[in-house]
Amino acid sequence: MFQFLFNKENRVEKLIFQYLDSFHLVLDHFSRALATCITRHQCEEFDFLMDQTHKYESKADDIIDEVNNLMFSKALIPDSRGDIMNMLISLDKIPHMVERALFIIRYEKLIIPDGFTQDIESLIRISLESCELLSKQVELFIKNKGGTRTVMGTIDANESRCDHIERQTISKLFDSDMDPFFKLQFKELVLVIGDISDQADRVSKLINILTLKRRV
Amino acid sequence: MVSLLGGVFLGWSLGANDASNIIGTAVSSRMVKFWHAAFLAALFCVLGAVISGQAGIETLQGLTSLNVNQAVISSVAAAVTVTMMTILGLPVSTSQAVVGAIIGMGILNSQLNAPGLGKVVICWLGTPVGGLVITLFLYRVLAFFYNKLSISLFDSDRLLRVALILSSSYGAYVLGANNVANVTAVFVGAGMITVSTAALVGGASIALGILTFSRPVVKTVGSKLVNLDPFSAVVVSLSLAITIHIYTMIGVPVSSSQAVVGSVLGIGIIKGANTVKLETLKRIFLAWLFTPVMACSIALALSFISRLSYTPVS
Repeated sequence: MFQFLFNKENRVEKLIFQYLDSFHLVLDHFSRALATCITRHQCEEFDFLMDQTHKYESKADDIIDEVNNLMFSKALIPDSRGDIMNMLISLDKIPHMVERALFIIRYEKLIIPDGFTQDIESLIRISLESCELLSKQVELFIKNKGGTRTVMGTIDANESRCDHIERQTISKLFDSDMDPFFKLQFKELVLVIGDISDQADRVSKLINILTLKRRV
Repeated sequence: MVSLLGGVFLGWSLGANDASNIIGTAVSSRMVKFWHAAFLAALFCVLGAVISGQAGIETLQGLTSLNVNQAVISSVAAAVTVTMMTILGLPVSTSQAVVGAIIGMGILNSQLNAPGLGKVVICWLGTPVGGLVITLFLYRVLAFFYNKLSISLFDSDRLLRVALILSSSYGAYVLGANNVANVTAVFVGAGMITVSTAALVGGASIALGILTFSRPVVKTVGSKLVNLDPFSAVVVSLSLAITIHIYTMIGVPVSSSQAVVGSVLGIGIIKGANTVKLETLKRIFLAWLFTPVMACSIALALSFISRLSYTPVS
């Protein structure tokens, strides 16, 4: 009934859900780009998918900027402003990491060696699963629905699995007789992909704290 | 009618000062724009004074009977006390200053309504306690229902904002109803104006104070309450309004500043946090002691000065 009084708030709400759509698209294109590259060793589509990833990452940045502007024009009460901005800024680090991983492959002309494809695939699959869960957790937080703690538990378990795979992969890499320069290059890629699940875990824990903080 | 200017001045300064207790939280936390809050507060203050201000006016004018000169003197004495206490940086309650000045006049007339005075003093002691108790109760009840609500973050935000606007408006209404007696009751006692005119003039002068000079005070004082979370801010605002409303129904003008301190202390007890410093509590006790005593002394001094006459030495 009084929706007209809260135009800025309504706009922020819409923008957050638009952001989550862009977040999904970034992850989707990232996943497809890496799948193309890993399984077929033919990366003709890679450039297109990387551009698409970049396009949605930029769109996500634009949405964050718009939310920021609305916040500065005093949409929402200060506590909610702080909570939402903290959450979005932390969440937005993930598309940047995703894009960085693609840039490493593209501009450093990195080819994932056969012996490592399974490790990288697992790392990506679990990281993306964490990101999907994180997106769900954001929705639960915004809609004030229960279950954020359960989601946080799964993301935390995924982060531990990713850490394990990451350590195992790096150890295997440095045990191999590959070119030392390639080892450093590939290690960087593994660390960047591994950071995705770490960041998802950090955001998930932040959301859990925000959820607890909002209870009176 | 010129004599009424003393009351109008007192009302103006009361509005400028006490608005911070009513709209300070909402404005300094930027939940509501100053002009929106000030306009609503001014409007509801006048409505409160006109609709529910009579009881307080009758209590204060019943404390003693004053003539026109004494009414003006007590009004000026209260205003001077408020100004001096503000300059000294001591907490000030307009209600206590006004009652102190009336007591001074009562002593001079050897005519003081002791039961009425006792009722007023008990209510002063009960103001922060009332604020505290109401906050403790209100917080538990509202938190129970708030936590049960399955609404989104944005709906919760809207709900809290609307609740704060409504509770601030309610606070302004009861501020007008309760404190209008401080401003114009003495003039009713002196037979200068009727109760309804006193309510209108008093309410309008408080509203004028809110609209013209409350902004700096709201910004300064309100920021002290900003560390309250939005829900607590709503509870403080609402319990302040309820506390003052209860005293309005009893017919005793009380200090909104002291009610706010009691409410914030209540939040501190619930949250296990130190929201009010011991120093603040000490200052409240000092205010209870010094404000009426100072106002009474000034009223007596002004009355003495007004009786002096020049006799040339032949």
